[in-house]
Amino acid sequence: MPKLRAAAVSFLNARPLTAGLEGSDRVELVLAEPSRCAAMLEAGEVEVALLPVGGLVGKEYEIVPGIAIGSDGPVTTVLLAGEQSPVVWDEVFLDTASRTSQLLSKVVLAERGVHPRFTPLPALDGLARAKGTKGALVIGDRGFDVHANHVLDLGREWTQLTGVPMVYALWAAKPGVLAPEDVAELARAAHAGLGMRTELAQAFAKERGGDPERYRRYLTQRIRYGLGPYELQGLEAFVERVAKHGFAPPTTLRFADDHVRTRRVRRQVSLDTALQKGADGERLDADEAELLDEKAPLLELGLAADARRRALHTDGVVTYIVSRNVNYTNVCTTACHFCAFYRPRGHQEAYVLSREVLAKKIEETLALGGIELLLQGGLHPDLGVEWYEDLFRWVKSTYPTINLHALSPEEIWHIARTSQIGLDEAIDRLVAAGLDSIPGGGAEILDDEVRRRIAPLKCSSDEWLTVMRAAHRKGLRSTGTMMFGVGEDAGHRTRHLLRLRELQDETAGFTAFICWTFQPEHTRLAPGDNSAHAYLRENAIARLVLDNVPNLQASWVTMGGGVAQAALHMGCNDFGQVMIEENVVSAAGTTFNMDAEEVERHIRGAGFVPARRNMRYDRLGPVKAA
Amino acid sequence: MLSDLAQRALDRAGLGPIRDKVLARERLTDDEALRLFEAKDLAALGALANHVREQRHGDLAFYNRNVHLNFTNVCVASCKFCSFARPDDKAASEGYTMSLDEAVEHVLSKRGLGITEVHIVNGLHPDLPWEFYLEVPRRIHAAWPELRIKGYTAVEIHFFAEKFAKSYEQVLRELQAAGVETLPGGGAEIFASRVRRKICDDKATAEQWLEVHRVAHRLGMKTNATMLYGTIERLEERVDHMARLRALQDETSGFQVFIPLAFHPEHNMIGKAFPKPTGFDGLRTYAVARLYLDNFDHLKAYWVMLGERLAQTALSFGVDDLDGTVLEERIYHMAGAKTPQALSEGQLHRLIRAAGRVPAERDSLYNVLRVHAAPVAA
Repeated sequence: MPKLRAAAVSFLNARPLTAGLEGSDRVELVLAEPSRCAAMLEAGEVEVALLPVGGLVGKEYEIVPGIAIGSDGPVTTVLLAGEQSPVVWDEVFLDTASRTSQLLSKVVLAERGVHPRFTPLPALDGLARAKGTKGALVIGDRGFDVHANHVLDLGREWTQLTGVPMVYALWAAKPGVLAPEDVAELARAAHAGLGMRTELAQAFAKERGGDPERYRRYLTQRIRYGLGPYELQGLEAFVERVAKHGFAPPTTLRFADDHVRTRRVRRQVSLDTALQKGADGERLDADEAELLDEKAPLLELGLAADARRRALHTDGVVTYIVSRNVNYTNVCTTACHFCAFYRPRGHQEAYVLSREVLAKKIEETLALGGIELLLQGGLHPDLGVEWYEDLFRWVKSTYPTINLHALSPEEIWHIARTSQIGLDEAIDRLVAAGLDSIPGGGAEILDDEVRRRIAPLKCSSDEWLTVMRAAHRKGLRSTGTMMFGVGEDAGHRTRHLLRLRELQDETAGFTAFICWTFQPEHTRLAPGDNSAHAYLRENAIARLVLDNVPNLQASWVTMGGGVAQAALHMGCNDFGQVMIEENVVSAAGTTFNMDAEEVERHIRGAGFVPARRNMRYDRLGPVKAA
Repeated sequence: MLSDLAQRALDRAGLGPIRDKVLARERLTDDEALRLFEAKDLAALGALANHVREQRHGDLAFYNRNVHLNFTNVCVASCKFCSFARPDDKAASEGYTMSLDEAVEHVLSKRGLGITEVHIVNGLHPDLPWEFYLEVPRRIHAAWPELRIKGYTAVEIHFFAEKFAKSYEQVLRELQAAGVETLPGGGAEIFASRVRRKICDDKATAEQWLEVHRVAHRLGMKTNATMLYGTIERLEERVDHMARLRALQDETSGFQVFIPLAFHPEHNMIGKAFPKPTGFDGLRTYAVARLYLDNFDHLKAYWVMLGERLAQTALSFGVDDLDGTVLEERIYHMAGAKTPQALSEGQLHRLIRAAGRVPAERDSLYNVLRVHAAPVAA
């Protein structure tokens, strides 16, 4: 089979996306200037190109989802430079190499009320002539060397102007050319290349001189390589503003996987039938599940789910657990767009918890009647399996009674990869060291179309499920989760639930399902429908579709007690976790007791009998009647 | 049509006979209201209330655009659930009283924001002259005649009547002449005297509150009615409260809307003893009210009090009105409400649409100003 030809620039910022293509048996890399990449794609000389977004406007190209070159603030390598302030410029020399930067210059200056004459000129000439009332555009690696009185970093200017990131380039192809395997190969290469950024910076410094650390920071802190909803807002804003100022025609953005979604032909099913089947505990198929998601009113879903919950949990008891969430590190390499927690390695706020701190937290937990340690963290590039083994052994030998509920699938996958051991070996070693059960976090939406957009560097749906399968087979129990309201549709949510159900048929390893809505407050990623109404509907749907998962948790943490109480009447039978938080514990021991009381008050107030449980949903102690 | 699922759930909950009466549009008894309160079968209760709600209003969810004016928080009453009132104007006690100019300007400065109503509620100030209470609406009305003025609770009206030695009718006629068109529903709390004695024994009694509204209705004023739940009242006393409102409504048809209000526990005298009622209690209260108050057209969930998430959920439990894009609410925020001070119209639309409803802007008198059938550009 002939290889797919892919054109890309040789700029430093493109290398993390292209380096992983070397030696690819599917894609052949062709290096060229930005404007030449666009021309080659247009002429059909290549099938896919790392296209400057300027090359996208007015065209009908398909975008490869999840990957882009962008910035959220200063970018360093797209600059306007001059001797005097831009407000006095009457002429700007535009580097002929990139249409995107030309458009960006025009938009930024126009929005600042500056309307100079634009003259195309190669970059070095332009910079040399940028005296007096003249300015020049400088792009690419030359930007590292610019020294001028007045420099406008166009990345910074754009983000200040719009509040969203700037996207400079992305993989694009003519419609219908890319197979899903091609898209996967480009994503794989990006994943590999992003892991080599330190090495790429060093190689670049050798090649052209300069400080490798500066280049590394540029690749890790200046440039953003994801194309999630947040970056998409930036992309859309750029296309819109370019059209608004009349610099180019309006453009509709298309993605290489858009057509996949419309292919499935749906069977006609009746809503009432689907609801009734669900209420009776009969298995719903994909069409029925999706129809419920699209059409069923909240209370009908709630009634059906409530009927199902009553059949599964007959005694009117609602359980909860007392456990402690500890994040052992916030260092993470995946940079998911919805996450406000992670820090890159070396960041001043980066941490790995010490044993002393951890010991204190565990002792506080035990003192407050907690029975479980929920230990999760970022994907720290330096922590191998031995580190976790030592940690777990220490925890279990020091505190033998505590349930060690640790490491989401993503982390286990990461540990196996970092230590270059197989998944089975990684799990065996972690279990031998004391791992009792695993949380189901990081599932987000188990549909790669969505994952690539919101968490392009995270493990794929298959990988997540593979880890869960392996863990379940070894006797570990886990929860299954879903985070929605990230702009996914009913089909994505349905596929997520069905994939969990399928694995559960195979392993019966999920003790419970928990969903929550995306919380946009600290992330600036635009949410989809993450309302309470959507939350209650999704829980009810999950109760109907996940006929083989015994328990459903209501998430009062994200929705508040009242909505969580309503969820208890629409499918849920568990009130989640009384969490022992840092600040709460240090304030006074009584706060926690209040919190357990408050949880029980909500359970009783909703008409149920509260009972504490462990991770396997065994009830602890006698159930106190209401 | 009530779905089969709902029919069966109601049978299982022992609410079949009540359901049959509701479907036949027969009036529920007080005992039946109590049984609904005690059923604790939220989804079934909600489905029945939602059925009635959709019969009355279809998918419409009403809101208005209003500004609140609380020109003084100085109050001679000592209601134990209140976090707003202060004993005097002194800075140390955080008491405040706006001047006439400030009060009027507070409202007039909101011109151009699309507001259609001002909601005026205050403390029972010991010294303000009667003329002040008339002059505020008079000046607002003169400067901004399209703005509808909803002013002074029955408790304030009663206070004015006593303090200025006038009948309710005189007070209300003078206020009407000054531009006040409707009365807010506050101050009703819980009518039962057992409760009133304990939580607010020095303001208008239940009978006085009801009499003010009766007179207002006779003078052609439309009014609202509230109920403060979640303090020390029993469920029977909630039903009694609604029963008295339903009886007066039979007589006058002057109430527009019923507004249950949850007790907020922060910064007041009884907050330590009584935690905030849970969301479950709110949702069932809305549902029972929708089923029992068959002569009230509207049922309002006040989002400022409830939070956006529960208010949205309430739209499936009998509620058809979310109050408004309130500007500068003070009373609930001083009691610890964590909600924003105002929701933009776009935010309110999104919240309503995500609940599967259609936003309809109304005025003070529940005339529909516009139905937003299609999404508006943000």
